[in-house]
Amino acid sequence: MAETLLVGSGLTKRYGGVTALQDVSFELRAGEILGLVGPNGAGKTTLVDLISGAQPATEGELTLRGQRLSGPAARRAKAGLARTFQYPQLALDLTVAENLLLGRAARRHGTVWQMVAGSFAGALRPHLASDTQAVAKLAEELGIDRLDRPAGDLSLGEQRLVEVGRALGQDPLVLLLDEPFAGSDASGVHGIVEVVRTVQRRGHAVILVDHNVDLVAGLVDRIMLLDRGRAVFDGNPQECLGSPEMQQVYFGVAAAEDDQEDASHVVS
Amino acid sequence: MKRVPGSFGLLLGLVGAALILLWVGADGYKQTLITTTATYALIALGMYVPYLMAGSLSMAYGAYAGIGGYAVGLLSSRTGLPLILAWIAGPVVAAAVAVLLGLATRRLSGFFLAAVTLLFGMAFTALLVDAEGLSGGSGGLGSLRKLNILGWVPSHYQVVVGSLVVVCVIAFLLDRLRMSPWGVIVRTMRDAPRAVEAAGVRVSVMNLVSLAIGAAIAAVGGGLFTYSAGSVTPDTFTLNLVFLAIFMPLIGGSATPWGAVLGAVIAVELTLNFPAVQTSGTLILALGVLVILLLAPQGVIGYASRLARLVGGRRG
Repeated sequence: MAETLLVGSGLTKRYGGVTALQDVSFELRAGEILGLVGPNGAGKTTLVDLISGAQPATEGELTLRGQRLSGPAARRAKAGLARTFQYPQLALDLTVAENLLLGRAARRHGTVWQMVAGSFAGALRPHLASDTQAVAKLAEELGIDRLDRPAGDLSLGEQRLVEVGRALGQDPLVLLLDEPFAGSDASGVHGIVEVVRTVQRRGHAVILVDHNVDLVAGLVDRIMLLDRGRAVFDGNPQECLGSPEMQQVYFGVAAAEDDQEDASHVVS
Repeated sequence: MKRVPGSFGLLLGLVGAALILLWVGADGYKQTLITTTATYALIALGMYVPYLMAGSLSMAYGAYAGIGGYAVGLLSSRTGLPLILAWIAGPVVAAAVAVLLGLATRRLSGFFLAAVTLLFGMAFTALLVDAEGLSGGSGGLGSLRKLNILGWVPSHYQVVVGSLVVVCVIAFLLDRLRMSPWGVIVRTMRDAPRAVEAAGVRVSVMNLVSLAIGAAIAAVGGGLFTYSAGSVTPDTFTLNLVFLAIFMPLIGGSATPWGAVLGAVIAVELTLNFPAVQTSGTLILALGVLVILLLAPQGVIGYASRLARLVGGRRG
């Protein structure tokens, strides 16, 4: 059995009287890809935010390799998390290469002293050959060319691809991808799938958020289905497609036994 | 051939400096203009890192330049230490003050950050007037000692040359810093702070580091001005100067630190040395900024490099 990487238990997020996420627990093993699916407003992005530290959890706990994971996003990133955003967060006036470099650069500037020393080192030696090579390799893996374009010139799908590459540059233990396929064309999807496979090969894990259950089902090892802030299903992707929970969440009816096959056909 | 990053900018900067020196010659008034320009350029360069790279507009640069200036004044009049130490003490103290002010204002951004730091600059001026025992009050500190670097006492002309060299070196280093991984992180903070945070760098801490660097550079400029003027008063580094410094990179071009230097040259030329309309130089500058913002939002350097690309493109 592979090592357990990330464990969430009883994760809850309330905004005043509104409960966005209610008592969600999960386990993520090394080399595993977990698909996080559910309709709009189900709490998928909230869960990603709670894990990455973009928002504090109201209740619940997280551990990464047995160590408690808490505090601001930067601390969790240093512990081994990387994420992308539902709306890509790129520096649009920086080049594609520079945006790709960020993940790698951030690893060397995590502490105050590294930040101070990094400013002197940067002025004295602005470009490291190892960085240039790493960025070129990353770009090749993603299928991005013309790295000296400003990121603002890219389409939304390409921006997502760059963001995924930037996150991979952090060499994370757990990569959180928030709707990476939205707006992507075939080659973009291919590049993102490549990244997911790379993380898996390294023995690390991925949490992938998407509406597109069909696309996710073919890629992930396990699916967690969220509905109105609760995890209603957690298990094998094929079982998920045929499950009564799936029917309930997406079609609002509990499917009868003999309807199941048809319904799953519609979804796929 | 291996290209040294930032060497093209440095080359243009050195050519510009050489032309300026040719123009100045032995004219004392022009020499003073140049040290003033160098001071403006250093204050604008100081603002470059936190303002144009990190995207937070702090207005306390009059105070940082003042700290650099008073470091020279105090070291000269109150101690027997070598004067060159003032250029170490001033920037260090200015950086420390910037960190403290940055900690106090860490939750502010945009307009509120500008307003509070502006207030700090004014409070600093008031403090200098009140603390007569230390700062010499509104009369300031005068009749300062000459620099003596291991027996070498530079002439006024050598100070002028030295100030241009300092500006070129700092602009060159900042240009390289901008391109470096450190610069990539700081420039990403402006538009995508969440991404920087999610990559493992505390934006608030990195901001303090960039503020400290900026304050230290402005303090170098303040020390230089005080030394070449021979005195420093609470009114030496006014808010007017800070406002000018905000516009210098916009005039010259904000894509590289050299734009701030070019902007300083243009600003001083227009405000202090425009023979036709001496009294309304500031008005001309204001109109000039407006025209540049409308016609060439990338500044003079941005406009020139676009022209160069057009011409080069046709040739190719």
